[in-house]
Amino acid sequence: MTPKKLFCLVAMFASALMTQAADTAPAPSAWEQPAAALAEQIAGILGPGPAHLTIRNLSKISADEIPAIRRRLEQDLKAHGVQASGAESANAIRVTLSENLRERLWVAEIVEGTETRVAMVHVEPGAAQQESSTSAVALHRQSVLTTRAPVLAAVETADGFVVVEPEEIVIFAHSADSWKEQNRMGISQRKPLARDPRAVIFSSPEGQGFEASVAGMACIGANQQAPSPADWTVHCRESDDPWLLTLPQQIATGSTPDENVHVTPLRAFYNSARNYYTGVVTPSLGVDLPPFYTAVLLPRPDGAGFLINGIDGKVQLVEAAMLKPIAGTRDWGSDFASLHTGCGAGTQIIVSGSGEALTDSLRAYELPAQEAIPASAPLAMEGTITALWAAPDSKSVFAVVRKTAGEGQADQYEVDRVTANCN
Amino acid sequence: MLRQIAISFLVAVLLLPAAARTRPHYGGTLRVEVEGDPWQRPGGLARQMVLDGLTAMGTDGTAGPALAVEWNSDNDNHRWQFRLRPGVHFQDGTPLSSANVVASLTAICGAGCPWTALHAVGSSVVFTSDSPLPNLPELLAGDDYRIALAGAGSPTGAPASIGTGPFQFTAFSNGVLTLAANDNCWQGRPFLDEVEIRVHRSMRDQWLDLSVGRADLVEVPAEQLRQAHEQRLTVVASPPVSLLAITVSDSGALSNPNLRAAIAFAVDRSAISNVIFQKQGEITASLLPAELTGYSFLFSPDRDQNKAHELRGGVTPPLLTLTVEGGPAMQLAAQRIALNLRDAGFNVQVASAGAPQHVDLALRRLTLESSQPQPALESILRAAGLAVPVMEQSPEGLYKVERQVLDTHMIIPLLYLPRACAVGGRVRDLLLSPDGAPQLAGVSLEDAP
Repeated sequence: MTPKKLFCLVAMFASALMTQAADTAPAPSAWEQPAAALAEQIAGILGPGPAHLTIRNLSKISADEIPAIRRRLEQDLKAHGVQASGAESANAIRVTLSENLRERLWVAEIVEGTETRVAMVHVEPGAAQQESSTSAVALHRQSVLTTRAPVLAAVETADGFVVVEPEEIVIFAHSADSWKEQNRMGISQRKPLARDPRAVIFSSPEGQGFEASVAGMACIGANQQAPSPADWTVHCRESDDPWLLTLPQQIATGSTPDENVHVTPLRAFYNSARNYYTGVVTPSLGVDLPPFYTAVLLPRPDGAGFLINGIDGKVQLVEAAMLKPIAGTRDWGSDFASLHTGCGAGTQIIVSGSGEALTDSLRAYELPAQEAIPASAPLAMEGTITALWAAPDSKSVFAVVRKTAGEGQADQYEVDRVTANCN
Repeated sequence: MLRQIAISFLVAVLLLPAAARTRPHYGGTLRVEVEGDPWQRPGGLARQMVLDGLTAMGTDGTAGPALAVEWNSDNDNHRWQFRLRPGVHFQDGTPLSSANVVASLTAICGAGCPWTALHAVGSSVVFTSDSPLPNLPELLAGDDYRIALAGAGSPTGAPASIGTGPFQFTAFSNGVLTLAANDNCWQGRPFLDEVEIRVHRSMRDQWLDLSVGRADLVEVPAEQLRQAHEQRLTVVASPPVSLLAITVSDSGALSNPNLRAAIAFAVDRSAISNVIFQKQGEITASLLPAELTGYSFLFSPDRDQNKAHELRGGVTPPLLTLTVEGGPAMQLAAQRIALNLRDAGFNVQVASAGAPQHVDLALRRLTLESSQPQPALESILRAAGLAVPVMEQSPEGLYKVERQVLDTHMIIPLLYLPRACAVGGRVRDLLLSPDGAPQLAGVSLEDAP
């Protein structure tokens, strides 16, 4: 076996993860409850009788919806004995459809002579729609898990979903249509983590355990009494050992099994005070590597190649014990993973974007030679991608997206599963 | 032939491996320039980088763990216990202890603290108060209550410069304050190796230095935001976080509530906003901005000279003193307010803040320290020196409190202003904290080694 074949495919977990449907904007019927509540408050203040009703909209509610809201309010007021109309009256009801960062607020100013009294109801806002793009290869994403704590890495085992957070390892168990937290175990680092903490985690071949590395620590987990996820034991120790980058695997380089290449596990030393690998890997690839952020294994015509993203932003392919610069990576971010779709060249590289950090995207590329060719349209991720890895079957990748929704809403970390369809 | 060479060159350029956007790089020195004192309280940039609080305000506006990992209250919020994060050290190696925290907080506010007593109990600190403190975790996230090693001074004359934050003081010479990365910071080492803060730098010089690459981050006052955009500076601006308001004494001539109300009706907010702050502020007559409440339109900001004259009722009060703190824009705003009040029949003189005299009116900037309405309102009232009433959580309850406070006319909100800075091309991932301050611990440099 030649050095160039000392690789294996990144493998993590085969998943059957549940999806979350995209939210939609409130339907007109969503206004029934707040309209009824506001009408009741108004009637309680004003009592039965005629009143001049005006409505102004200071919210993001579409102007098309205002007539329906007005009709609904008029009906509800009428039910309480208040005849609201546009005609002049001694009593006036000024309704303002307002909002703040968290919710919609409907405010009624009820004017009787020189006295003005105020009634308010709040309305839950609708959520934004998810978005995806299509192209030669179409990428799609599904939300798997959402947490408040940063997710550094995760893996699915036979009995659960294991998430590495900066200071803890969290076991989730599948429950109905979602993952429920079952257990939480401290990693017990003695030194503070770097500010851009990272981790890797791999499940054991039979899915009854895992191996994880976080800066300065190595953890082994085992579930001796499957299928109860509460029976996990996790042992962490201080360690400067190299991190596992790839598991042993067969990599298909041709059309027949005879052309498969067996690649051994590859490990790389990680600079635990920073956020990158030092460039020292074991076993050696026959060439000195620069410090890098990310590395993935790719099938190549002559075996396998190792694509790395240096801390200087340069993407290079390690092939035949040589470092080859890759063009066409100007739009690439620091994170990428390989995805076996069977479309086009068969394997695509899923890459985070290089644009504004708050609006990251993923895009598929192919690498037929030494230039990366886009193979899909960008898929908006609605946040900052903080980690990306491939599933063990290489048919999907997982991305951690930090979502900073702005003032008034907490940061969330969403683990998304990204798949590709052939077009 | 030339065409072929040109095409070949173009292809070669396109195929050249280009550097992509990467994860944040460690290393490098960020050069910052400020007009004021970076140690000033509240809002001093150095304070925020060197010192941490027991709690920290999250992006959702709620207080999260910082030097304290958990807390609980009992006795109807009259007693709070905060458990300290284990394993934290000050930048000089001194372990963080409950005694350190008590000493620091006592040094900060002494007898003027919102709480009645503070005790160290094991690895916790316990606050007790005669009146309930429902928002104490949010209050402790404010800049006033950052923890410093008591007794530690600095060559700059700063009262305390040893904390637990991501940067530590190293030197001050020739007007440049140097802060170095704290490798042992409990939050993780920052990406930058150093931050150099050139202090007392005029705005003009700051922008000049930014334009020629001598500075990476400079200030942009709200009144110069439009100019900064016109000069194509890369501006990072916060939502409105600074309330320009007049605080009104309820003693002396202004003990008459009608006179205070007359002052509120006499001020022309539009002129202050349009002329002095170049339309960069949000005119307001409410204490909290519309983004937090949704009901601010219920407080009318319109000037009504007739109403002001009517409320004054022919009374001509003695000469009133209006003090002002801040730079030229604040001075101009004070002069314009004085003019408005003279039009309404008041005699007003403008004086600088700190002058040893009775203050009838004070033009101030109050910082919104939270994006949650209740703690934000509480922080504004405390900063204005007003009593903090018990607040309900609902918008209706909050509205009632605001109405009650504003009906006393002891505080007259004028404008909400953003906080902004401009950055050079090397600066990456700059975010602003809820109070609009740049969060430099998360910043990295594009060209860091």
